[in-house]
Amino acid sequence: MGRLRIWLLAGLAAGLGGCASAPPSAAALAANDPWEQTNRETLKLNGKIDRYFVIPTVGLYFLVVPEAGRRGVHNFLGNLSLPTIFVNDMLQGELSRAGKSMWRLVINSTLGLGGFFDPASKAGIPGHGEDFGQTLAVWGVGEGPYLVLPFLGPSNPRDAAGLAIDVAMDPTNQIHFKQHIWWDAGRIYFTLLDLRAQNYQTIQGIQRSSVDYYSSLRNLYRQMRAEQIRNGRPIRQDLPDF
Amino acid sequence: MPFSTPLKRRTLLSMLAAPLVLPAPAAAAAPNVAESFVDENIHKGLEILRDKRLSTVQRRDQFEGLLLTLVDVRRIALFTLGQYRRSAPQDDVEAFVNAFKNYAAAAYQSYFAKYTDQTLKVIGSTQRSPTDFIVQTNLVDPGSSQPPAEVDFRVRTDTGKPVLVDVAYQGIWLSLEQRDQFVAFLGQNNGDVRKLIAHLSDLAVNLSKPAPQQ
Repeated sequence: MGRLRIWLLAGLAAGLGGCASAPPSAAALAANDPWEQTNRETLKLNGKIDRYFVIPTVGLYFLVVPEAGRRGVHNFLGNLSLPTIFVNDMLQGELSRAGKSMWRLVINSTLGLGGFFDPASKAGIPGHGEDFGQTLAVWGVGEGPYLVLPFLGPSNPRDAAGLAIDVAMDPTNQIHFKQHIWWDAGRIYFTLLDLRAQNYQTIQGIQRSSVDYYSSLRNLYRQMRAEQIRNGRPIRQDLPDF
Repeated sequence: MPFSTPLKRRTLLSMLAAPLVLPAPAAAAAPNVAESFVDENIHKGLEILRDKRLSTVQRRDQFEGLLLTLVDVRRIALFTLGQYRRSAPQDDVEAFVNAFKNYAAAAYQSYFAKYTDQTLKVIGSTQRSPTDFIVQTNLVDPGSSQPPAEVDFRVRTDTGKPVLVDVAYQGIWLSLEQRDQFVAFLGQNNGDVRKLIAHLSDLAVNLSKPAPQQ
């Protein structure tokens, strides 16, 4: 089981719980961000980890692994997530999407040589994401205040709890084999590496164009999650008037 | 979607001729006007960005010129000030609008420059009010097997002439994100709009420089 990941999440939660902070400002409360001061400190910590550890590693990854190899890693990690996506599709009553997830798993695990290739997309079954945070949202659970998690970045209590449940329900975490901790550690490492490599230019663009990087990330995260929960349809009707 | 309209492209000629020929109810034809407006002009913008014959300065000037004719920058600028629009001195607000123009031109150029190899296809529009439309487009990357990215443009026709007031990439609206940033910045700086103006001016200069390579 992915004890390493569960312990990591528990550690993050404990660390956050231990953070003392001043009473939230009116602006922070208006932005549904009562932990803003702590969140900003956590973002700074994440920035340092990113700058001194993740970015150099990503640079090395780009240098050593050719684009086709990086795509293979991305596909493989995506394929590992498909059982969790399938369960969340089902829990949300999205039967059509669940069927697609199942077909992707079957096709990519076989014809795609264990998931390193993505013939399912070429066959007209593109991938999509789902997680338990989205399932909770579909069930009517509110997001709660904004939260920045160490190492993991923007979140909220609902999505953080959803992440822990996704880890616990992931069938690949139920397989016990000798020294499986290396499997867990490797999967976490390559997931972070892949995520950062995929978003390298986007994050750089946000950092370059932001007046306030923290609030930019907060807004982008909230809008992105709202879009994911809607599954991209239909266009939101609650846009403000100009 | 109750407000969806099917995609019906009209030629530029009919779009221009319509207000001259038809006496009043422009709202009925408006969704297609919004679609045509986006279809014609976004391609013009992408053409400028992908034109390798232009120098950096020429490209920037041409793009900025086009942008300022298409986008209601003043309306967006005032929106992004949030509640500080009412409390700030009028002179500061006007100076902010000017600073925002330069920032927006640099920021939009920086965003769209990433997509010059891709094609944008208008797929329909949604009417939110008689003068408020969202034009849905797909950004297609010819070299990718992934589904096209959804890019939406919000177009207003209050004055009869369509203007762009916001753009969303995969459901993320740019003006909402900018408003949150600016309001947070002003909240941390006692609502001092001049500090925001100085910061925006620095950002516009930085964004005009090429992005550092990995």
